[in-house]
Amino acid sequence: MFAAALKYVAFARVAAALARRDRGELFGRMVFFAVILGVFTSLWRAIADAGMPIAADAKQLVWYLATTEWIILSAPMVHMDLQESIRRGDVVCRLGRPASYVGSAFAEALGLLAVRAPLLAATAWICAAAFTGWIPPLASLGWTLPFGFAAAALITGMHLWIGLLAFWLEDVSPVFWIAQKLLFVFGGLMLPIDLYPTAMRTAAALTPFPTMLAGPASLVLPLNGSGSGLGMLTARLLAWGTVTAVAVWWEFRRARATLTINGG
Amino acid sequence: MSRHSNNLSFMCALLANNLKAAAALRGAFAMQVVFMILNNVTFFVFWWVLMRRVPDVRGWRLGDIEVLFGIVAAGFGLAVTVAGGVRHLGRLIHDGELDTLLTQPKPVLLHALGLRLQASGFGDLMSGVAFIAWSGQVSWRAAPLAALAIVASALVLLACGIVFQSLAFWLGNVEAVARQLWDLLITFALYPEPLFGGVLRLMLFTLLPAGLVGYVPARLAHRPTIALAVLAVAAAAVYLIAAALVFERGLKRYASGSRFGVHG
Repeated sequence: MFAAALKYVAFARVAAALARRDRGELFGRMVFFAVILGVFTSLWRAIADAGMPIAADAKQLVWYLATTEWIILSAPMVHMDLQESIRRGDVVCRLGRPASYVGSAFAEALGLLAVRAPLLAATAWICAAAFTGWIPPLASLGWTLPFGFAAAALITGMHLWIGLLAFWLEDVSPVFWIAQKLLFVFGGLMLPIDLYPTAMRTAAALTPFPTMLAGPASLVLPLNGSGSGLGMLTARLLAWGTVTAVAVWWEFRRARATLTINGG
Repeated sequence: MSRHSNNLSFMCALLANNLKAAAALRGAFAMQVVFMILNNVTFFVFWWVLMRRVPDVRGWRLGDIEVLFGIVAAGFGLAVTVAGGVRHLGRLIHDGELDTLLTQPKPVLLHALGLRLQASGFGDLMSGVAFIAWSGQVSWRAAPLAALAIVASALVLLACGIVFQSLAFWLGNVEAVARQLWDLLITFALYPEPLFGGVLRLMLFTLLPAGLVGYVPARLAHRPTIALAVLAVAAAAVYLIAAALVFERGLKRYASGSRFGVHG
């Protein structure tokens, strides 16, 4: 069991080493992140001038957005790599290895996440503090780190599920766009879900998306860092993580059954 | 004059060729178009929810934002439909894949831009036009000016894409950076102009001309004046000429990839 896990740790370490070398991409993400936060700081200020529609103030909403964006930007787009691997037929070579194809892809994504997440978290916090001149209570900020990382891993699982659709679809990008936009809307990327009309709030509650974004990000808003709230968020992350794992396992099993290998 | 009409008919031939290729995979084509429309509608939910609570953000109402979003989406769609090769220009330069185009009698830049068509661009174009119509802010009499605004927006976007991707002549592999710069341009163009002030505002009308991709064309469609029409057309022409000059300058530094390949 331990030796089997070590294989995947090695996959993660190799991916992390590669990510550390690709500094340009990481730097680009950090700049993009800073710009987005700058744009939204201006937007929330403008909305504060017009009369804020919810209890949270503009500063808290900038920190909320910094956390949701941190989670989104940290999650690796593993579906693109899987699609390429399946299209080119590389997947066949990897199926014969003594390590799960899906498991190794997930481990590589976690390795990338382990490099990206701390740097983007630093960018989020520095920019949010600079733009708002305010820092949330350190305890609630501290909780966002493990929960945000877990949420990014859950999003990575969803990307993995989308990538495996390439066994049946020519291009998985349209599925990704829809999933991403559903995540933006039902996850509460830019606005806390409390702002939504009732019907949308109800619909969002039936999806995993609020657990992926609004759950961890709401920890920086007041009255959201209580013990029961953290327990509920942990339970939801575990439940949706299990659902995603089962969905990926079942999908890959179906894909292997339908796969036809020709040539050598 | 005849050289220009030759180039125009060459561009039309490339577009027709790309359309035939896209139509060969009708299912995938239709899916990309439909999903892009859904993608854009989903993105707009943010504004819809926000503006229900705050109907006026520094003088911008929901209808104004619909026109802005429509112009940028339609402009982007037009750019990647007619000149989808712009997104791959940096890679062509870096990998030495311009070789096959250099030996042909047509302008290299024109050929490289017309090599590809992004099917989802049709979805952007259609949803952009739908947003403009839905806004109720643009009368039928102003429709030709709205079309002019979309073309102007597309040309400035295209020009910026050419410049960002042409950095590959000097800096090597800039694919990720160029893509992120283009994303930044689009991000800024999608938010109301009064959110930005000072040096940033100046930058948005010069170095990163989001103002000329979004605000000026949107205002032209919304409240048309001759001065705005002249400004939009002149800006598009200036940026396009500048982009062509940058590409020509870079082409002198181009190092062949010594790669054998054929473009149909």
